Order: sequence, then C-alpha cells, then structure tokens
Amino acid sequence: MADALDVAVMDPMTDAMAPDDTVMDPSVMDPMTAMDMPEATPDVTGMPAPTAAPTRAPVALREPVTGVSVPDLATGIDWVSPLDKESAKVAHLLRRMTIALSAAELDRAMSEGYQKTVARLVDTPFVEPPVLPAAENATSQAAVKLGDLQTWWVDWMVKSPTPLAEALTLFWHGHFTSDYRKVGLGSPFIYWQNLTWRRMSLGKLNDMLYQVTIDPAMLRYLDLLTSTGKSPNENFARELLELFAMGAGSYTEDDVKAAAKALAGWRQPQTQAMVDARLAALAKQKKPLPSNPPKPDPVKTGVFDPARAFSGQLIFLGLANTFDARKLIDRALTSDAPATFITQKLLTYFATPVPSAPWVARLAASYRRSGYDTRALVREMLLSPEFTAPDTYRVLVKSPTEYMVSVAKALNSQTLTRTILANANGLGQTLFDPPSVGGWGDNAYWISSNTMLQRANFVSTALGQTRTLPAFAGAEAKFLDGVLGPRTATELANTKDERGRWYALLASPEFNLK
Amino acid sequence: MDEVGINRISRREFMKNGLVFAAGAAGLAAGYAAVPDVFARAVYSAKKDGVTNDKVLVMIQLAGGADGLQTVMPLQDSRLRAMRPRLSAAMDQALPLANTTLGINRNLRGVKGLYDQGKVAIVNGVGYPKPSLSHFDSIRVWETADPTRRQIDGWLGKTIAKNYDSQGHPLVGCACGTSEVPGALRDLEATLSVVNGENSFKFNGSDADRVMGAIYNGTPGIYGALFDQSVFTARDTVARLRTAHERYVPKAKYNDNPNLVYSSKNQLGAALQLAAELVISGVGAKILHITLGGWDTHDQQLNRHDQLMAYVDQAVTAFHDDIAAYGMADRVLVATWSEFGRRPQESASAGTDHGTASSMFIVGDGVKGGVYGEMPSTSGLDRDGNLKFTVDFRSVYQEILASHLLVDAREVLDQSFERVPFVKVA
Repeated sequence: MADALDVAVMDPMTDAMAPDDTVMDPSVMDPMTAMDMPEATPDVTGMPAPTAAPTRAPVALREPVTGVSVPDLATGIDWVSPLDKESAKVAHLLRRMTIALSAAELDRAMSEGYQKTVARLVDTPFVEPPVLPAAENATSQAAVKLGDLQTWWVDWMVKSPTPLAEALTLFWHGHFTSDYRKVGLGSPFIYWQNLTWRRMSLGKLNDMLYQVTIDPAMLRYLDLLTSTGKSPNENFARELLELFAMGAGSYTEDDVKAAAKALAGWRQPQTQAMVDARLAALAKQKKPLPSNPPKPDPVKTGVFDPARAFSGQLIFLGLANTFDARKLIDRALTSDAPATFITQKLLTYFATPVPSAPWVARLAASYRRSGYDTRALVREMLLSPEFTAPDTYRVLVKSPTEYMVSVAKALNSQTLTRTILANANGLGQTLFDPPSVGGWGDNAYWISSNTMLQRANFVSTALGQTRTLPAFAGAEAKFLDGVLGPRTATELANTKDERGRWYALLASPEFNLK
Repeated sequence: MDEVGINRISRREFMKNGLVFAAGAAGLAAGYAAVPDVFARAVYSAKKDGVTNDKVLVMIQLAGGADGLQTVMPLQDSRLRAMRPRLSAAMDQALPLANTTLGINRNLRGVKGLYDQGKVAIVNGVGYPKPSLSHFDSIRVWETADPTRRQIDGWLGKTIAKNYDSQGHPLVGCACGTSEVPGALRDLEATLSVVNGENSFKFNGSDADRVMGAIYNGTPGIYGALFDQSVFTARDTVARLRTAHERYVPKAKYNDNPNLVYSSKNQLGAALQLAAELVISGVGAKILHITLGGWDTHDQQLNRHDQLMAYVDQAVTAFHDDIAAYGMADRVLVATWSEFGRRPQESASAGTDHGTASSMFIVGDGVKGGVYGEMPSTSGLDRDGNLKFTVDFRSVYQEILASHLLVDAREVLDQSFERVPFVKVA
C-alpha cells in the first residue's frame, strides 16, 4: 500500500505533460519591470485603485430542465476479472499490445496459447507499411498531405500482420514526440520519423536515443538544428533528459547546459527531390543558380557539421570529458534513472496506471543488465505475472486511435480509414499532432462529455458504412470476455436487431476499456 | 482550500485517488470496492456550487495575426505612411476617433457607432516581452497567458476550473462554431463543450441517446463514475441546446455571406448567433470562444484586411444588438485577440510579415469606452522592425477576470498585473 501511495503522488498527468523550454530568461519572469504601463487616455484623474478581492455571492443556476435523468453510480463495484482463464489472458494481451484485436487474430492466438503468442509478437520481424511516394518525395513545392500520411498509417494499423509494431510505434510517437505543424510537411522528415520509430522500437535504448537525437524531424521540432557550440539551444537537450530518457530531478541545470553544447552541430539532410525543388524555384524566379549547387545527402538522418559543434571539455553528470552525442547518451545511461524511467512509462502505458514499485524495480534492473535491450524488456513485461493479474483488468482506457481501429477490426472492415480520420480530432487524438512535447495524456484524459458523444457517433457512422456486418452471435464473448455490466447485458438482451446489438456493444464502457 | 469536503474534490484528485485505489487493489483480488466512493457521490452534489454571477465573456480570436495598424491607425504618423506606400490608403479612409489622433478601419462603422456611445474600449500596444513571431508559439503564449511557455492549461480553462462547476454545467465553457477545443479553453479539470453548430451536437442514430443513457448507468470499475457522468453531461447538453433553441428568437440579423478575397472556413455570424442563443436562453453559458481565421495577410492586405473587418463589424454589431434587445448587454463582454499584429513595413507583395504588438477591442454596455494604452511608436522599432509593446496582454486579462467576471485573477495568471480600467466598476 505504501508503495502504491508513493507512486500515485507523482501525478503522471502533470509529469507527462511538462512544457518545453523554448524561452527561459529570468527577466521575462517579472512583468512589472518588463512593462511600462501607460496611463489610459480617458482616465485623466489616474487609475482607480485595483478592485478589492471580489465578494462571491453564490447564485445557483437553475436546476436542469432537460429531463435527462441522472444515472445511478455503481460505487464500489468493479469488473470481475476473468484473467484466470487462458482465453481471457490471450484477449487481454492482444487488446493491450496490438492496438486492437480482430476475431482472426484472436482465434490464432487462442490456438497458440499465451506464451507462444508472446514469443510470436515479440520475435517476428516487423513488417513495414508500403512506401508512400508522396511523403518520400515531399518538398516545399509539393508537400505531402497530412491526411495521406494519416491514412497510410491507420490503414496499416488495421492491416499489419505484425501489429505489435504499430502499438509500439504509437507508444514511441507519444513519447519521443514531434508534430507536423512545426516539422512541416514539405519534406519527408515526419514520415521518416514514423519509419524510424517502428524500426527501432525494440532496439537498445542507447541506439534509440541516438536515432531520436539525429532524427531530422526531431532536429526541427526541438530546435537542435539551430544549436551551435557557440550559441547552444537548450530545447532538445532539456527534453532528452527530462522527457525522453531520465525524468525530472535526475540531473542538474548545469547538465542541461553541458548537454546542449555536446549535442550541437547537426544540420538537416537534403533529398534529391528537395534539391531539385530548390533549384527549380531559383530558376523560376530567374535568380542565378548558386556557384556551389546544393547536393543531396546520402543519409536519412541529420548531418554532423564539426565546424558548428562544440569542441572542448564538459562536465556532464559528474564526469569531465569531451562529449559527442553518442558519448553523452552513454554517460546518461550509466545513471540509475533511465532504466526506471522507461520501464515505468512502458508499464504505465501497456499494463496498469500504477505499476507496483517492486515490479518496476525488477524489470528496470533486468533492462539495465541486458544493456538496455528493449525487446527483452517488453518480453519480460508480458511474461510477468503482474501483467495478467486481476487488478490489471480494464484499468486502461483505449485511446481514440485504439478505439476506432478496434471498431474497424471488430466489424472486420478495412474501409473505415476515412471515417476514422474524419473523427480523430473530435475524439481528441490527431496522429502526427500531439498537443505538446509531453505527448498525449491517458485514461481519464480521454473521457469527456464531448468525446463520449463523438465516440458514440463514430460507432453510428461506422455501422452505417459497413454494408455486411459480421454475425453478432458470440461477439460479447470475443470482444468483451463475456464480462458485462448489468446495464450492457440488459440492453443487449433486449435488443433484437443485429445493428442495434453491435451499436450497444461497440459504444459500451466495456468496449472503451482495454 | 477552506473546505476540502466531498463537494470540492476535483477531477485531478479523483484521478489520483482512483490510481491509488487501482494500485492498492492487492486485497481486492475479487475485484470489488475499487471505486473511490467519495468522488462518485461528489459528481452530482457539486452541481449547486460555483456559478457566482451572471457575467458572460465572449472571446473572438482573429487567427493568423491580424494587422493592428490597418485596424487602429495613427493618422498623423508620416513615418508609417512612408513604410506603407500602398497600405496607407487605409489611413486616408479611416474613421477618426474624436479627441485623438487615431482612426479605425473604414469598415468598422457599426463598432464606431458603439464607440461613440461609450460602449467600446480600444487597448493599443498590447503584446508581451520577447515576442515570438511564430503563429504556433505566440498563440500558445496568448492561450496560456504565459510568455515563458511553461504553462499547459489555457487561461479561460483555468478560470472555469477554479471558479465554476463545469461538471454539472457543461455549457459554462463553450467553443462555438468549431470542432476543436481551443487552447485557451483547455484544462484537465474543466468540462467544456465544443459545439460546431447546434445541429451537430447530438447523438446520431434514432435510438442512440436512449441506448447511451441506458448503458452508462452504474458502470463498474475505476472509470465508471467518470464514464457515467460524461455521458450524462453529453445528453444533458444535447437537451439544453434543444431547450435553448426553443427559447430563443434572434432579434438581429446575422449574415455569413461576407465579401472576402479568400473564403473563410469559419462562420463568424453563425457562431456569434449560437453564442447569443446560449446566453439569452439561460442554459448556463459563461465563457464562450469563437475563432475567425484568414488574417495572415502576407499579400493583398489592403482588401483582405478591410473585408475581414467588415465581416467582424457586421457580426459583432448584430450580436450586440441581439443581446441588447434582450436587455443583457450590460453583463456580456466581447473581446478580440490575435496572436500578434503585423510589421509596419509593407512587403513587396503588398502585404506584411509577422509582427508584435497590436490593438484589442472590448465591447459591451459594461465597458467604460475610450482609448487605452499608448500606441507604440514607429520610430522605436525592435531589431526585427516590429513595434515594441506598451501594454502586457495579461493586464487586459486581469481586467476581464477581476473587474468583469469578478474572479481572482491571480489564481489564473499566477501574478497580479496593473489594471487597464476599461470595465465600469460599480
């Protein structure tokens, strides 16, 4: 119990959404010195004294006149966990680790059993989505459309034969965030980032952090592009330590400053298409072509320019040395913080909002011993008894993407992508557009009056667009483990037509949980 | 926090408690009693608290960076005329403000009429220290009331969370005419409505409303109360909007067919009419937010800006007339904001680049009309060639919060700012 309290006090909602630090100058903290308030023109006698603390005489609004009756609250009643059964364990695994389960995947996993399914998910090489030429060849003159990029990914979430890859890519997209607004769509960078995150999603943490550091979209998103040894920009360095690798409190402000210097010196790569577009633009404006024409870079990462970097000794996490990006990351990983930080985040996202401290400690220790092998960490998480313990049952809320893809897969429809994208914003999650550098929130963050209305309406639309519905018989066993609240059970029992039963099931609280 | 009782438990506290319960479920292997009982009872009992007066705020966002210098013009500034060889034509046609050297855009005729009746405050030179020229960054600064960009929650969302029981009154904070929660209204602890049009805020499907009400009733689990309360609020809001529609007859003419160079994706007239409906019908609207895009006038600014001005003038005037006809204009305050103004120097394509300080308009019968704030000088520009602000935008927020809404501004802004005394204080 004490462990649980300690963990809960961290308030993951606020920790996960720490702001960026683009500007941090003490002088802007004091508005009274920074501003010079002119006298207002009409008030020649001078300003009246500021109003005293307002007195509040509570005036109640009129009671609801809407006729909508207030529900009874089920205080103290929880779902009865079915996780002692192998079949429920398998369904639980697929709901958590494959974005959404389909009847076909469930059948296959049921026949294999839990252990074998874990092995298959974790050890099968990930299949990549098909190439998206409009993104690969994007330039400022021919930007990729956001909708095309989102369609490309959501299609693949529905169809991928290795859906663990999509679940992890979505997880890392929310962890190592970037958004299309700042990165832009006039380059392949945000598309490459998605591919890179998928490829590295079970890699070694030191390699992952290096990929993140030199990722072209990230170079733009957190301003590392503009950072030089002479004039370092701290934005990326701070988030690398705070949000990506270590967690607040495990380093000092001096470490941030040192990291900013060590990480400076990267520029973005140019593709052939980007070079061609630039030359064409110059030609169109009848401007002379540069004597030293730009050349495409052979890499899909940032390009290191030693002339813009910092050379010299730094002290980072107590060690005086010369540092480049790799050495800096390696040094960060000698600290105790990263293994715990990443393990905690992974368990919170995939297993339970408050993983027990002993579980976190055990997995973090293994993670570090394995040389930060993320594949081994994920495997150990899934094979831990805690992952399928009764108190993990239905303690996570599906994110909007997971929810909508779950509906598509339950209806066995591969043609709902447009509808999914059209509803994404209303449900609160737009891919490639997280709300802040801290990514999206989770669980209760997704539940509001507006989003619940939008979720229900998405189901209506999806059902309306699905010509041939799968037979409903057995759906509540497949998709809800047969564990229904009394009201959902009653509604399903009283509803005779198939479409109505699918609506009740897909819009139910049971289906909103994973 | 004098009363940390059941009624005061917040959504954030609920989530913390919920998590504690989830984690402490060791003794709950059978899966019972995992819901924090205290919150479950609090959800509805909190309903009678919190709405402290009948004041309403309507914020209109002019998205894209509206040019302040083609809105409020220093008519005798020959330097500005020189910097704007083509755009200064607007200065020749401006409507002069009596006893000042300023003129407002020729198309703000309705607003000028209200100004002459003492119902419009114009605050000049509004900006913030170390201005960002990025739309994205600067919008965030204005939305969170934080130039250091460390805050997440929007200033209006915070105002709602700290002062009103939005859980029981979902229309307390409402974005009208959009499908997105604007950043200014965002707050984890506030329940908000986003109503694109009253026709779209309803359950699709003939039986859907009933089914949702039937299912979301006594939902088990740690999120059960939150689920049930959210669905209840949604159904209640749908019904309130229906009630609002029945109670309201517009008494002014709203028009969404403006003459614009580029068509607008926002329907300002319809959004303001929805706002008027929510205010007039008494369904608990308190803070409303409306966005009109199209102000990023890098080219063809003279016509584009003037036509948008006419659109705003028509819609705001209709809104004021409507509210006034219902005798409510003294408790409703309308304010415009934009992430930044534009650069004094006009560009080669007869537009302007991103700038800094600009003017805000505040309209209502509770306003002490006149011109506030010093117009920044075009002779002392910053190194980017932009105006230096003279009034911190948070001073304007301060006045709206403390003098109009009568709430503790410090709770929202984290510090106190000097007043810009444009609200009549009783």
